[in-house]
Amino acid sequence: MRLLTKYNRINMVLSIIIFLIGSVLFYFMLHYVLIRQLDKSLRGEQQEIEEYIQQHKQLPEIENTKEQWTSIKPTTVNIATAIKQSGESYNEEKGRIVPVRQRIFTIVVNGKGYMAIISKSQIETDDLLKLIIVLVVGMIALILLSNNILNRKIVHKMWLPFYKTVDDIKSYRVSSQQPLQLGKENIDEFSALNESVNEMTTRIDQDYVILKTFTENAAHEMQTPVAVIRSKVDMLLQNPEWNEKSAEYLQKIEEAVHKISRLNQSLLLLAKLENRQFIFDETTYLNQVINKKIEERVELIHAKQIHLHSKNIVEKVVLFHSHLIEILIGNLLNNAIRYTPVGGDIVVRLTEQYLSVYNTSANGKLDETKIFQRFYKASDLFDGTGLGLAIVKEICNVAGYTIQYAYNDGQHQFTIYFTDDKI
Amino acid sequence: MKILIIEDEPNLNASILEYLSCSYLCESVHTYKEALEKIDVHEYDCIVLDVMLPDGSGLQLLQYLKDDRKNDGVIIISAKDGLEDKLKGLALGADDYLTKPFHLSELRMRIEAIIRRRNMNGQHVLSVGNIVINTQEKLVTVNSNEIELTQKEYQLLLYFIINKNKVLSKSAIAQHLWGDEMDMSNDYDFLYTHIKNLRKKITVAGGGDPIISVYGIGYKLQAR
Repeated sequence: MRLLTKYNRINMVLSIIIFLIGSVLFYFMLHYVLIRQLDKSLRGEQQEIEEYIQQHKQLPEIENTKEQWTSIKPTTVNIATAIKQSGESYNEEKGRIVPVRQRIFTIVVNGKGYMAIISKSQIETDDLLKLIIVLVVGMIALILLSNNILNRKIVHKMWLPFYKTVDDIKSYRVSSQQPLQLGKENIDEFSALNESVNEMTTRIDQDYVILKTFTENAAHEMQTPVAVIRSKVDMLLQNPEWNEKSAEYLQKIEEAVHKISRLNQSLLLLAKLENRQFIFDETTYLNQVINKKIEERVELIHAKQIHLHSKNIVEKVVLFHSHLIEILIGNLLNNAIRYTPVGGDIVVRLTEQYLSVYNTSANGKLDETKIFQRFYKASDLFDGTGLGLAIVKEICNVAGYTIQYAYNDGQHQFTIYFTDDKI
Repeated sequence: MKILIIEDEPNLNASILEYLSCSYLCESVHTYKEALEKIDVHEYDCIVLDVMLPDGSGLQLLQYLKDDRKNDGVIIISAKDGLEDKLKGLALGADDYLTKPFHLSELRMRIEAIIRRRNMNGQHVLSVGNIVINTQEKLVTVNSNEIELTQKEYQLLLYFIINKNKVLSKSAIAQHLWGDEMDMSNDYDFLYTHIKNLRKKITVAGGGDPIISVYGIGYKLQAR
């Protein structure tokens, strides 16, 4: 639920409750005030009657109106203080029973006791109350409506900077190494938010750089001890005293050193690719690079009795980095040769739009969601670094190419599309 | 032939010194300062130069050498395989650039190539026993009989001859012939084919079989 909707809902419920309670209180207060007003005028009437009696020693002539009428009857009781009461009384003028406010008191004229009842119609008072309540309800409706419109139009407008910030955060990529630079807003809260986000991304960026530098430095630092091991193995090999068993151990060490060294180089390359340290400004004939890389691997291909077919190789010129293009194509070919079973086929195609490498699969479809991940290996049978395809993918990313993996007719199919081509 | 090794890592320094000592007159130093003293006084056929030294940069040293118009050959060895460092080093006048970790046999090859290139007066003929290689004309004779070698076989033989009497692991040979980026999965069958062919050609020409297999880990060219 959106904040605005939620706020509106709470706001509306609360407004209605407050208005209802307010209206009830208002009603009672108004009612009280109006009754007091009636009582006051009734008391005035009583005083007038009493004054008249004092002056003239006789009962006054009573003139009844629609609003007020008085009845005076002889009585024997004596009421010390006047009784005020609400009730209903028959109005002769109107000819029906109406709600009234009455004042009942006793008077003495020439030694005779009378009871006087002054009734005052309450219809007008009730009408007034009704009107007020209608007004209040109307106002509630009006306020709620205007609130709603206000929220929709104005508040939405006020939240715009917030949505902009959200969009900016959404499009933020750590790897772009560009901390967010959100602007100042009129509203303090949004300015504070933007400032904090700016600070946060700056910190993230710094940490990211540190982490990457670390990867690069770690790989560098490891090269020297690996160099020491390799040189010592080379020296050990010269020792005439070892036997077959030691030779086997030495060979294992040698293989492990080779693997560490390759891993290091691959990690270093990945770190550099992420750092965008390469400039793609060399005119490169893709077809020539492909032929060269195949040529370099002729012995490997023959050793596994693989049939390599180059099809539709067109002359394709791209702006690339000479070192990276060799790694890209070399890795694709290495991968194909490595995973093709003995006697299998590799098909390389190069058209204006794409470069594809198909190879016979030894053990079915690969997991396309994981295939380009670092250190993903389809099987442990092969002793690779698990970084070859990750590097291919990263080079494609940097170059603006797209790489796709598909599995068809028992073939792994890797296709690089030169979309967003740099030329 | 005089070689100066400038490498601050003592173990690596010792290995290089030991490996090269049987073929060259070698001196080794560990710091920028020591290196400077040596360079000022002596002249070397080749200097093995580490880029990162504790008290200075190898590239600075290279700059100093070239400013001083010294004609020493220089091979840079560095843990950085950054293309920029490589280009910078070569632009400053280094003859070659080798990335750590390297095989000592590979270093020996590179040094030999530098020395051959710099000594234009002869020295392009190498021989072991009755095998003679003319590196300028890429000509190989065994017992004075010329033999025809493929590109790879020629590279292989040259590698063996320069590293004669040394055991060379299959992995080192493969890396020399096919480069480091190749993915060989520790499967060196195809290497064996080349060795077999090379052996055959030398034996047929009457050179005996100088290439000895060593416990399946590698090969050695025995100089008799």
